[in-house]
Amino acid sequence: MKSFLLKPPSLSLLMFRSTAVFLMCVLLCPTKLLATEPRFEIEVMSILSKAGCNAGTCHGNLNGKGGFKLSLRGQDAEYDYASLVQGSRGRRVNFVLPAESLMLQKAIGTVPHRGGIRFDRESAEYEQLNQWLQLGAVGPKVDSPRLANLQVSPSAAVVRAPEETLQISVRATYSDGSSRDVTSRACYELSNLDASVSADGEVKRVKFGETTLIVRYLNQQVAVPIAFIDPPDDFVWQEEQQINFVDHHVFSKLRSLSIQPSPRCDDSTYVRRAFLDAVGRLPTAAEARDFVANTAEGKRSKLVDALLERKEFSDYWALKFADILRVEEKILDPRGVDLFHAWIRTQLHNRVPHDKFVRSLVTGTGSTFDQPAANFYRANRDATTRGETSARLFLGTRLQCAKCHNHPFDRWTQDDYYRWSTLFSQIDYEIGDNKRKDKLDKNEFAGEQTVRVAKKQEVRNPTTNELTSPKFLGGDSWKPGEPEERLEAVAKWITAPENELFVKSQVNFVWYHMMGLGLVDPIDDFRLTNPASNPALLDALADHFVEKRFDIRALIRVIMLSRIYQSSSRPLKSNQHDETSYSRALVKRLPAEVLLDMQSDVLGTPASFAGYPVGLRAVQIPGVKRVRSRDKGTNTGDRFLRTFGKPERILACDCERSNETNLQQVLGLIGKGLNERIANSPVLVELANSERSDQEIVEQLYWSALSRPPTNAELGSTKQLFETAGSDRLPVLQDIAWAVLNAKEFLFRN
Amino acid sequence: MLKPTFSRRAMLRIGGAGVLGLTMPKLMQAAESGTSFKPRAKSVIFLFQWGGPSQLDTFDMKPDAPSTIRSPYRAISSSADGIQVCELLPEMAKRMHHVSLIRTMTHTMKNHASAGYYALSGHEPPSDDQRLRDSLDLYPAYGSVVDHLAPNTNGMPTFVAYPHVIRDGSIVPAQHASFLGKRHDPLLVLEDPNDPNFNLPELSLPNGLSVERMQRRRELQKLVDQQARLLDFSAEAQGFDDYYQRAISMLTSGEVRSAFDLSDEADAIRDRYGRTSYGQSCLLARRLVESGVKFVTVYFSNSIGGRRVNEGGWDTHGFDNTRMYKIVDKYQLPLTDQTLPTLLDDLEERGLLDETLVVWMGEFGRTPNINKNESRDHWPQCYTALLAGGGVKGGFVHGTSDEAAKFPAEKPVTPEDLAATIFQLLGIDPNTEIYDRSNRPLIIGGETVSDIIA
Repeated sequence: MKSFLLKPPSLSLLMFRSTAVFLMCVLLCPTKLLATEPRFEIEVMSILSKAGCNAGTCHGNLNGKGGFKLSLRGQDAEYDYASLVQGSRGRRVNFVLPAESLMLQKAIGTVPHRGGIRFDRESAEYEQLNQWLQLGAVGPKVDSPRLANLQVSPSAAVVRAPEETLQISVRATYSDGSSRDVTSRACYELSNLDASVSADGEVKRVKFGETTLIVRYLNQQVAVPIAFIDPPDDFVWQEEQQINFVDHHVFSKLRSLSIQPSPRCDDSTYVRRAFLDAVGRLPTAAEARDFVANTAEGKRSKLVDALLERKEFSDYWALKFADILRVEEKILDPRGVDLFHAWIRTQLHNRVPHDKFVRSLVTGTGSTFDQPAANFYRANRDATTRGETSARLFLGTRLQCAKCHNHPFDRWTQDDYYRWSTLFSQIDYEIGDNKRKDKLDKNEFAGEQTVRVAKKQEVRNPTTNELTSPKFLGGDSWKPGEPEERLEAVAKWITAPENELFVKSQVNFVWYHMMGLGLVDPIDDFRLTNPASNPALLDALADHFVEKRFDIRALIRVIMLSRIYQSSSRPLKSNQHDETSYSRALVKRLPAEVLLDMQSDVLGTPASFAGYPVGLRAVQIPGVKRVRSRDKGTNTGDRFLRTFGKPERILACDCERSNETNLQQVLGLIGKGLNERIANSPVLVELANSERSDQEIVEQLYWSALSRPPTNAELGSTKQLFETAGSDRLPVLQDIAWAVLNAKEFLFRN
Repeated sequence: MLKPTFSRRAMLRIGGAGVLGLTMPKLMQAAESGTSFKPRAKSVIFLFQWGGPSQLDTFDMKPDAPSTIRSPYRAISSSADGIQVCELLPEMAKRMHHVSLIRTMTHTMKNHASAGYYALSGHEPPSDDQRLRDSLDLYPAYGSVVDHLAPNTNGMPTFVAYPHVIRDGSIVPAQHASFLGKRHDPLLVLEDPNDPNFNLPELSLPNGLSVERMQRRRELQKLVDQQARLLDFSAEAQGFDDYYQRAISMLTSGEVRSAFDLSDEADAIRDRYGRTSYGQSCLLARRLVESGVKFVTVYFSNSIGGRRVNEGGWDTHGFDNTRMYKIVDKYQLPLTDQTLPTLLDDLEERGLLDETLVVWMGEFGRTPNINKNESRDHWPQCYTALLAGGGVKGGFVHGTSDEAAKFPAEKPVTPEDLAATIFQLLGIDPNTEIYDRSNRPLIIGGETVSDIIA
């Protein structure tokens, strides 16, 4: 505690003293010591990271912690030195009695520390910091060696049970050619909870599956994919038919992990899955029956071709794009929503190549009513939002972190962020009457607007307080006066076939929607430390997409025809732990709109949505909310969609849609909502009153809801119910309908 | 952001002033705040006073201030030594020995939406802007954090909120789970507890659907589920099925339903709370915590109000030729004096007060200077929060405001600090991290106000 009271050394004294100590050391110390003399920018900085001092929840926080702030994860050695040595009147270091320095006492807990004890007095960390202090706490030097290369071995690993651990070793090479083992000094983080990692780099299995270890030392990071597998003793890879290149890449990974893919699913499952994934609706009973009964060769391929031609394809994929393009009434005006949505749908319907679609959005200016693509900028109203949104949607990259500091897990600096954003700075709006329904609500923009290119100030980087110059993300600078105008240039740069982030992120978007899990997951998070689960497959899909001139249908087709898309969801012994390598079909709750339309189709009862004519399908709704809830109560259809996670479309992010399950959803399915729809179902009444036998009406219901016939057990059980019920078949049929509409097989894609 | 660089000039400029603005006491306080204690609160009732009640006309009276500042109402003594309250809160005055006041709540958000978000989440909004839009980027409600970190295991919902979704133009953020995921959303009740037919449609079987028939349906559903066997290998499908089990037991066993059944209360007690939406909401809060709900948020009103004597919140600017002191004396203050004391008594009579933390506060206070409309405008720099029960001291005041209740004179408390205190009292470590969509670690609270903990 005494150190608090010591008068901090004045600046000049400090410099003098450190120089003096250094000189003394040079003169007196044997050269051996010089080699191990801790340097601030290497040893001290790596300790601050290793001990977690500069973590985002500790002193690396934007506001620091307890009045002490370090650069986040050690991005800025000079800042940290100033903060440690000069900050707070130099209270943190004690040059007279180094061991009394607050920075040491806090870390070992002899002075109370809210962040707890970081290391003990006997540790190498303590020893080195103490030594650094004794040598005068010298700051970072301009000419000292930099970290040149970080080598992690192994660079990828498969750990087979009974083995459950993997020792990582890390070697740092510096710009002066020296190198050393830094295994105990590197920081380790895992991408999920399937494993744990010790401070010394030993990774231990928690459960079987795949994880990514991120190794960080000073300013470099390396990602190490690790799979923990448990192959059955008698595992022998069974050759599987490879239908196309997708299978080749998936199988070669599975084979290396001793995982067998689940067998091909049956026809009922396939027809249902194909309809739901491609066009967002159920096959009708007749369509399902015909498909299953059909014995022709190549019927799955024919089905895919037919689905891609259906108009519902455009409806369903327009919904997915409308989600991320913020097609929402408050900001676009209901008319703008209708126009923008119709435009998106038309692009899909007319098979406009995807790169062209994106170029239209990025260059979209003019009246938002005459030029619907201009709504993209109408919804993204300032340069940084436009920059973030474009990076997320078109480059699969989350830039937000770099708004306030260099991205802690990726290569993007704050400079990159603002130089990219300023590419989108020359946009202005002509706002017309803007007769808001609610004058208090400044989020609302009513009526027409014109988005135009205008001379505006470039974006200012708040750290340097300087205006930035435009530069493509990870690419070249853009200079005024170049032949293409700025937005043209941006559009061209983004959508260039050579722009890997564009092509891969777009492919990944489609893959995610078809397979339920992105090759890069989450889909908007491409970064160095989040590698694709199957990089070769992602490359191949990207090549294919370019080769097919950005034709979304062609991409979907190659996915749907692959053997792995056709896998059953039922696990085998060898693939039961696999969640990430596509060895079986993923089971996922269906999206809100699709589920509601499925109910409507089975029951013949259209859902109602406030502000729309009856009969509109939920997937066709252009926007989010047509009528303000305070003007008119929401309808049951609207409520269902909200409960089941239809997004508000505020964030321009696919993540806004929730396919989670919760209690409220089930209460709605059990209670009034669905019950009323069943009670009012003309289809059920017609079936119950028809001449058809009990078994026939049950079969009809099963085919229409589950795309399969009832099993014997199900038939037996329903038969019994009809027998006890007597002449009125309707209540029994309603109960059966409730059961099939609540079966997991109905609610989940499988 | 202050960025010290390693130039001689920069160092001279920052000189000895403490680069990062920290002072010794604050540092020591930070170091010592990790003290452990036994949490007493099992539940929280958060009574959110939307619109912003005036500190100067409720719990931080300044009777000696000039007439341009002081309340036209007198300050009266209370059951707690040295604590005075407004003369229009005579019943509350008799219960101040249960109460801790924080008279130095402070922040800088002047708009209802941003200040409301701050108050409901304990996190500073990215901007002080009425346009602050509810999105998954913003922080979740306290109750959702509780449901995420310490969910109920007693079959009751963890977090219930009612009887409004509050808005000022746009919906105010932090009324739901945001990035924590929909499963942590509150059970939101928009029916009016004062309606004679008040019930939860979700918690009652639809007309004509008997329990037997419901069970028959469930049996059939189980049979269908056995065919595809999704439940055997999909944790998600299994999880969804668990909700059916829970929902059906809620609908049939009646434990949850009866918690919401206000008709079960004697008329006398219903009258004591007052036959208003807010009054009956307070009564419902007591029923809910009694049956084991952990976090109950009651919104005083759906709108900021302030212009009528029969509806709305505390936003009394005197707009449209209305006058604050012709409104609060007829509506907000009497309503408060009927409900809050009754709730405290009721909890105490049932032995629940010690384990139930009651928090009464708005999103900000009101201007010390009475404006030209003889009313008061928004004032976030200094206002009062009231806490009672759940392990806080009785008859205690934390912090002192200056002579006009304009700024904290000592011991300022931010919404972050209040959040930490609420979590701490519930036994949740306020240093706990949660993760947002960018996987950014966020700490749920600031510095616990340990002073008020009994």
